[in-house]
Amino acid sequence: MAAATSSSYPPPPPYYRLYKDYLDDPESAPEPPPPVQGTYPLFGASYTTDVVLPSLEDQGVRQLYPRGPNIDLISLASDFKLELTTLNRDLQLHILELADILVERPSQYARRVEDISLIFKNLHHLLNSLRPHQARATLIHILERQIQQRKQAVEDIKRRREEAQRLLKEALQTLDGHVA
Amino acid sequence: MIPSFEAAGEDCVRIMDIVSQLQEQVNAMALLAMNTFGTLQRDAPAVRLSPNYPEPTANASEETIGAEYPKTMSAALVEAAKKFDVLVTALPLSGEEAQLKRIAELQEENKAVGLELEKQLEAAGMLFFYHTGVDILHLLVCL
Repeated sequence: MAAATSSSYPPPPPYYRLYKDYLDDPESAPEPPPPVQGTYPLFGASYTTDVVLPSLEDQGVRQLYPRGPNIDLISLASDFKLELTTLNRDLQLHILELADILVERPSQYARRVEDISLIFKNLHHLLNSLRPHQARATLIHILERQIQQRKQAVEDIKRRREEAQRLLKEALQTLDGHVA
Repeated sequence: MIPSFEAAGEDCVRIMDIVSQLQEQVNAMALLAMNTFGTLQRDAPAVRLSPNYPEPTANASEETIGAEYPKTMSAALVEAAKKFDVLVTALPLSGEEAQLKRIAELQEENKAVGLELEKQLEAAGMLFFYHTGVDILHLLVCL
């Protein structure tokens, strides 16, 4: 079994033998395994089923904006926008710095380029952390639209029912008028 | 007014959500910076690095043509940065708790309206349509 999981061309899993009599007796074969939870290894790398954006530290990238409540899902909206605009300004300054360095000491470009790429990584990480908020906003929008549609349907049904009842009453009256 | 910019490089005009626009803008800024420095590097005249080699012959006539590139490119960079700031200010941000509260409220209201809809349908004798979807109901009601 160990050879089967660690060789470079592993054979297919031997579980197919258990399903030999599946056509005759569906109960004799084992149930499919339950979905994986938590972390699982795949081709030597470890993956997680937890759908969460890994923090920058996990990716080994230095974080430029301060920690605290503003990082956790935008409890203070103004801080978030402020961080983005600050990072943008820092980016422009760094680009300018790079241009200067290239004029004066061209051999030292590497550190500046690294700084610029760091700023970009921080920018993208901030924008990615906006996505859960956007998902909730979409959900709110969908719920509101559904409520509005249902209210509309209720109104329509009420109207049609009343109209139908009115027609029925009128028809009865004309019938009575003819018979009587 | 929320500014809306088209998705880059597509035939049909499609307006993106604000987060994707911001991401596109960041990438655009990176592209502009890269093009700027690349152009400067490509068009730069030769530089004397060591006293062992003679001074390179500076062809002044060719170099003056490249004088307008830095201006237009840097202007484009600044433009892109301004666009980014505009998009950031247009972000409709609110706290997470406010959103969750609103979602809970809407769910309650949705349940109540759903019950009323079910009652009306029952009265109209079309209860089974509720379970197959309100859209079919709309079709019937609009006939």
